[in-house]
Amino acid sequence: MSISMNEHPHSLASGEHLLEVRDLVVEFAVRERSGVKGAKVQAVSGLSFDISPGETLGVVGETGCGKSTMARAVMQAARPKSGEVIFEGQDLTKLSNKDLQDVRKHLQIIFQDPFSSVDPRWRVKNIIEEPLIIHGAGNPEEREKRVTELLDLVGLDINIHGNRRPRELSGGQCQRVAIARALALSPRLMVCDEAVSSLDVSIQAQILNLLIRLRQELGLSYLFIAHDLAVVKYLSDRVAVMYLGRFCEIGPAELLYLQPLHPYTTALLDAIPNTGGHPSKHHEELGIEAPSPINPPSGCRYRTRCPRAQERCALEEPQMRFLAPGHGVACHFPNNSNTSEPRD
Amino acid sequence: MLAERVSNFRQTAQWRRSLDIWVPAGILILLVLACFFGPFIFGLPGPNAGSLLDARLPLFSAGHIFGTDAIGNDLLSRALYGGQISIEVGLGSMLIGFVVGGSLGVIGGYRGGILDIVIMRLLDMFLAFPSIILAFVVATFLGANEINVIFAISFFTVPAFARLARATTLQLRERGFVIATRLLGARERDVLIRHVVPNVIPSLMTYGLLTVAIAMFIEAALSFLGLGIPAPQPSWGSTIASGQQYLSNAPAIVLVPSVFLFTAVASLNSLGNALRTRIESQ
Amino acid sequence: MSDQLSSRTTDSTAAVNPVQVDLAGDRTSSGAPSPTLLEVRDLRVNFHLQRSIVPAVQGMTFSVNAGQTIGIIGESGSGKSVTARAIMGLLPKKTAEVLGSVRFEGKELLDLSDREMRQHRGKNIVLVFQDPMRSLNPTMRIGTQIAEALHSHQKITRADAHKRVVELLQMVRIPSAEQRFHEYPHQLSGGMRQRVMIAMALSCGPKVMIADEPTTALDVTTQAQIMELLRELQRELNMAVVLISHDMGLAAMYTDEVAVMYAGRVVEQATTKRLFKHVRMPYTRALLDSIPSLDHPSLEPLSVIKGRPPDLSALPPGCPFSPRCHFAQHKCEESPILETTEDGDRFACWFPL
Repeated sequence: MSISMNEHPHSLASGEHLLEVRDLVVEFAVRERSGVKGAKVQAVSGLSFDISPGETLGVVGETGCGKSTMARAVMQAARPKSGEVIFEGQDLTKLSNKDLQDVRKHLQIIFQDPFSSVDPRWRVKNIIEEPLIIHGAGNPEEREKRVTELLDLVGLDINIHGNRRPRELSGGQCQRVAIARALALSPRLMVCDEAVSSLDVSIQAQILNLLIRLRQELGLSYLFIAHDLAVVKYLSDRVAVMYLGRFCEIGPAELLYLQPLHPYTTALLDAIPNTGGHPSKHHEELGIEAPSPINPPSGCRYRTRCPRAQERCALEEPQMRFLAPGHGVACHFPNNSNTSEPRD
Repeated sequence: MLAERVSNFRQTAQWRRSLDIWVPAGILILLVLACFFGPFIFGLPGPNAGSLLDARLPLFSAGHIFGTDAIGNDLLSRALYGGQISIEVGLGSMLIGFVVGGSLGVIGGYRGGILDIVIMRLLDMFLAFPSIILAFVVATFLGANEINVIFAISFFTVPAFARLARATTLQLRERGFVIATRLLGARERDVLIRHVVPNVIPSLMTYGLLTVAIAMFIEAALSFLGLGIPAPQPSWGSTIASGQQYLSNAPAIVLVPSVFLFTAVASLNSLGNALRTRIESQ
Repeated sequence: MSDQLSSRTTDSTAAVNPVQVDLAGDRTSSGAPSPTLLEVRDLRVNFHLQRSIVPAVQGMTFSVNAGQTIGIIGESGSGKSVTARAIMGLLPKKTAEVLGSVRFEGKELLDLSDREMRQHRGKNIVLVFQDPMRSLNPTMRIGTQIAEALHSHQKITRADAHKRVVELLQMVRIPSAEQRFHEYPHQLSGGMRQRVMIAMALSCGPKVMIADEPTTALDVTTQAQIMELLRELQRELNMAVVLISHDMGLAAMYTDEVAVMYAGRVVEQATTKRLFKHVRMPYTRALLDSIPSLDHPSLEPLSVIKGRPPDLSALPPGCPFSPRCHFAQHKCEESPILETTEDGDRFACWFPL
């Protein structure tokens, strides 16, 4: 759903955002099980958001909500059906592949599985050097110096790790290599698509700390996508909650957690196992199965699992409204932000 | 009472593991060395240097350890020189298939779309013919000599390699690092050369060994039928053909080249399979 | 009994002094001690590979009674999955050497042949895996698959099996069970498939369920639903449950006792209440601290366990966690002995917190 500029009290004039996404729609063809061809799925249905320089926007959602598809659409790895992706003032959707090459210096992505995102036959130092070679940056000595710098930045050592191949690295180390490679050309925005989800817990913490440090040292912005709400909240300034291709809620990280406005956000928060407390029962109301994006419910897409769904929800699709500065929700009956108690 | 559990665990021997590679590899190396250097080292008479006086000598005759053929040519010499031809034909058609077929497969697989469909349909046409018939037709048109035989057999090896290369490329195309390299700003050409091709080559290589065996066999069949290397050039196939009528009284003429052919093909197959198992289990 | 055991364990690096602990005391609601269904003593697994011997599990000891849940928590390489497979007899006989004892209702399982073990597997002791897509046959309807499990353990007519399968599907709260019977795995969502796996596991009324990362591949809301389902089923059927996971949060909420594993060894073992009240092992503490919880202030660096998970074929001498431990000292080069407190908790550390 689109965020009308008028309703966003803190909206900056166009051009001051690093990334502006407007009404992004991504579709792909799907073969129905019954054999009907040509059915289209809208994985992303009209998404709009901004990211300012130095800011981290977290996007959280469950499997099938379309967040990875959105990441690829922003990168133009998969071309969106419609909508605008304005990065550093240029609409990427209108650029040819050739023109995109230049832009790609400043916009990079880290994938979930570090081992499949690097060529298994290459050595670490070549993997990191590659973007420099592609864009013709410097001579061999300068490149080697830069590679050493980059490895150092991510906590690796060129003398120890430089000559290794990916299979001789651990998951955490390989992800560091992927990060170093992405940093080679000094990007301004990094998209992290479930970048820590497949790592061990203790390694996850190391990588998260690394991402934070890089952000501070290099002034990076992140679009951080994950299904783990705690991880997303930890890293982000603002968080958007995604469901079936749309945002239900978007707002500052702490606020979202303390006073969630959308029932889905509440359900997500309640479902997280915690080490101190007792299980809450909200998730029971969610019902057994999430609807599939092929045939989303009419009106509000969340209504089939919502404890508060009423007639209006089936008839009218809720638009994103900003109930507090920077905190928007798309719901006809949001949690009452005045009376909701702070979470303990 | 807890009785003590005795573990009767035995470990399987490990040194046997590499035999499946080194035995056929060793045989093949010996064969190549023998064919190309043997005649010189052993001072053998030429493959067509025999005289009728020495016709159809049996195995272990004086001066002709494997005997002679119907017109007196030394069989060992014919086998070794014939081996040179077989190896050249086998390697030649394999290499053409590898390079041309491999390239077509990678390009078609990566690009997809119309290009892929056109290339594949064209190659499928050739693949649909039994390879021997195909080679026979081409050789008949072009005339029978070694170069044309290589060319003819290539009509089989090129589509075969293209198929394999395309399948591997399709898999690779979806792998993260191919997408990641594109997203780093690399041109399609760079991605293909730097990342796709190096990862396709290993699977083509093991298939290559098997292809050499097939090519050698087709050459022998063609020559046997009189459509390949023309007599009097020594080919395993034509030597076998010439010995058919003497099978009862001078079986060596058929047996000697047959054993060589069998050894070459069997070793290539074993080595190819062993390498493939080794690569897959990694 | 315990003397025989400790005198035998000369080559296990964590000497075990098993004090017979009455776990029933502070647990079951009925108050009466429940029978010990599964008893694992000093379980050790060594993998004999091409060039080395990898000690995947070294000295695992625990027992579970009916109606109780024990959590085995660890990261990758900790040996938790190997433990599960060792109990079920699923390790490859050619390369895995299994020592120690696993007893089910008093009967030693490790000595059984595969055929004998099959009587127990699937019937008395079941294993639920992490990724249902890999353990369900994609070409068979789910109803048929569950029925297959029934047929392999008891003589039952097809009609009766069908009825029982529908009952099972309802037991795992799958709606429209009659119709779902005829569906294929790919038609179901991840959470539903996991329910089907559970239904299959429950088909013969098992006494012990081992769940190996049952919810790791699922979304957080589905995870909560599945865990609640397991808890209810456990109560209904009075099963013993062994929950294997890397998630301390799940352990806190769904187990009665927790064993934390690192590099194949148990480093801390206690009742859940006590463990989370007073963490003894630096590793357990570090593990808890490095998980961003919702209460953790954003962007403040997480306390991190430096270094990386252990390489089992090249363990350092002494405590395997010492290279990464904030508190490591010289003495840690000597293997710490597994000590038992008077409450029955166990830990292996020279300098517990």
